[in-house]
Amino acid sequence: MFINAPTPSAEMPEFRAEIRDFCRQEMTPVFRRKLELGQHITKDEHDAWLKALGRRGWLAGNWPKEHGGLGWSPEQTSVFREEMQRVNAPWLIPFGVLMVGPVIYTFGSDAQKKKFLPDIISNSLWWCQGYSEPGAGSDLAGLKTRAERDGDHYIVNGQKTWTTLAHWADWIFCLVRTDPDARKQAGISFLLIDMKTPGISVRPIRTIDKHHHLNEVFFDNVRVPLENLVGEENKGWNYAKFLLANERAAFGEIARFTLALAQLRELLGQVFQSGKPLLQDDSYRKRLAEHEIELTGLRAIVDDVNATVRAGGNPPLIGAAALKIRASELQQAISQTAADAMSHAGLTFDPGALMPGWTAEPDAPELANGLMYEHLYGRAATIFGGASEIQRNIIAKGALGL
Amino acid sequence: MTGLTPEDRQMLHDSLTSYFQDNYTLQQRQTHLETDNQSGYSRKDWANYAELGWLSLTTPESLGGLGGGMTETGILCAAAGRHLILEPIVSTLVLAVGALAELGNPSQKALLEQIAAGDRVATLSHFETRGGFDRGFVETVAVKAGQGYKLTGEKSFVIGVHAADHLIVSARLGDEEGPVALFLLDGDAAGVTRKGAIALDERPGAALIFDGAPAALLGGVETDRMPQLNYLLDKAILATCAEAVGAMAAVSELTTQYLKTRQQFGKNLSDFQVLQHRLVDMHLHSDECRMMVGFALNAADTKQENWSRLCAQTKVKVARSARFVGGQGIQLHGGMGMTEELEIGHYYKRLSVCEAAFGDAAWHLAGLANTKGSDHA
Repeated sequence: MFINAPTPSAEMPEFRAEIRDFCRQEMTPVFRRKLELGQHITKDEHDAWLKALGRRGWLAGNWPKEHGGLGWSPEQTSVFREEMQRVNAPWLIPFGVLMVGPVIYTFGSDAQKKKFLPDIISNSLWWCQGYSEPGAGSDLAGLKTRAERDGDHYIVNGQKTWTTLAHWADWIFCLVRTDPDARKQAGISFLLIDMKTPGISVRPIRTIDKHHHLNEVFFDNVRVPLENLVGEENKGWNYAKFLLANERAAFGEIARFTLALAQLRELLGQVFQSGKPLLQDDSYRKRLAEHEIELTGLRAIVDDVNATVRAGGNPPLIGAAALKIRASELQQAISQTAADAMSHAGLTFDPGALMPGWTAEPDAPELANGLMYEHLYGRAATIFGGASEIQRNIIAKGALGL
Repeated sequence: MTGLTPEDRQMLHDSLTSYFQDNYTLQQRQTHLETDNQSGYSRKDWANYAELGWLSLTTPESLGGLGGGMTETGILCAAAGRHLILEPIVSTLVLAVGALAELGNPSQKALLEQIAAGDRVATLSHFETRGGFDRGFVETVAVKAGQGYKLTGEKSFVIGVHAADHLIVSARLGDEEGPVALFLLDGDAAGVTRKGAIALDERPGAALIFDGAPAALLGGVETDRMPQLNYLLDKAILATCAEAVGAMAAVSELTTQYLKTRQQFGKNLSDFQVLQHRLVDMHLHSDECRMMVGFALNAADTKQENWSRLCAQTKVKVARSARFVGGQGIQLHGGMGMTEELEIGHYYKRLSVCEAAFGDAAWHLAGLANTKGSDHA
């Protein structure tokens, strides 16, 4: 116990100053305001921002130098992410740079590295993740999308779902079944598929926040060159597991929670009960304190996971599961407090005020719509990337041997 | 109010259920929301409710209504919650009708007939933005002007207010120290600004701003109406709780059904004990609330002592259960629970609105903690 003391988070004042300068230059006041209000941005706006990061090499700053990254230490990566979240920067879409990129440079062929890595680093290609299927959610290994060999191609048939931003993506990385007779996990392969290939169609799924983030993706006799197979055929599950740990570890975005708490505090200053702002209400002050305690706890999990990364490489699956459980719970707890605060003012939510093209200034409390959106869409945090129930199964098996 | 016989209650329940099943599918509901921009609910259905007698359910028999009690109101509201009905039932049939029946002078009471016929809609706004859930926090002031009054102040967002023909609002008589009375205004009166907004569950409504708006005093006598208002708001709490009970029962049933058919890891999700226990907890919450709300509705009808305190207790219980049942409904449906095309997310939002309406669990818990049994108001 307590052998590997977590290192305190790094200061790196010069690096931080460089990032802050960059943000000042690249973010117009109008854009900054949009982000502050939690409004949805357009693909063009998002793309311009990610490309600007790409030009600095920062998008893939944590990649090893040999693959085109800057070879950042975990501390440097944390500082970068902190600074991004501090200014409410657009979501660093993980599908390319955090997910498929590392899979390609770890398990892919030289040709794949050459073909795909530079475009991921520069954000020239948008990726999405083809994992879940209608019949394979928590039980991901039950996936049925088939890929059958036909000469120098695979023929892919099936359906993916919950595919975030498939409607913006140029490429999709997919788990497909290549051996229907093998044990569930054993017959799965990892394929890279161009979204423009004939036979692919995308259907939007609207969610309870009234927005379009998610999609169904259908594959109807889609021809994929054999060279787009990553690693070995039927070994895809190993690569998927490697990537899932990365996905879950990404929940530990401490600065994002710090910002959410700051926004909650601002909201509590603008909503009134009996003539006084809720910020003066003892019960709400206690709830803020509770959230801060949980945030400190989360920081400790992140530091512990990072210490393991430093010592041994990949994020440990059990630490990542704990992190995902606690981070998603904290996210929902904070936005629940925001919703409870808004209850005092009539619990309204105008999804239209978050859409691109909406230019009016919001009524007070001005952050309300963005926070209510978080409250609704945030219900998914305990579902996607492995539901909380599945994370608990991982810990039951891995940590307790049950 | 005497209320109906059990046979009549059963008939009411059956007619509500069969009407809503036929005319209020999720798709029809979305059509009402999206196409009827004026009201955000279905005026056609509202007219049918009049035909079916539901709009006179809460009006006393002496005033030409059916004379239903709180139990009958509860039956109506539970069906409204179960079928995610958009029309402003609590605000119109419980609060506005209650205020008119209780306090109106003969000409004001005449409005009840038009409401019962579906020709006119009235809503009641009491709470204020700076006051939150505080019933006693009224800064809107009514000053005498000729035969009537002029109102200045504002009222918080209430569902349905944007499309109401008549507004009933509370204000202090004379100045900010004056007693609280209720006033009747035309929806489109000069000096009234309706600030449209949308509730979390997509039902439109409005906050109100008054700038010297002409208003008539309800009942015509200058006196403190806070006791009557408290009584009406307690009734509105119970009606909202009944609505939540209808929604929770639906979530509990839908989720159980879904887990019985959804297969993962080679078996039904309902075969996993951890999920069975979750379903049991959802059912317990939902059913316990059904019983507690039924108990409180009956206590209201039989004019039991301490009824107001019982309302607050019920609201705490129902609000907490609504949060659990609504949240777990989405969680156990997984991604499907997040989609707009499934009912489950709509129930979640409706339950959140029920939780918040007329004071949330924390507010009423604090109220109960700071008052003794009989003097709670």
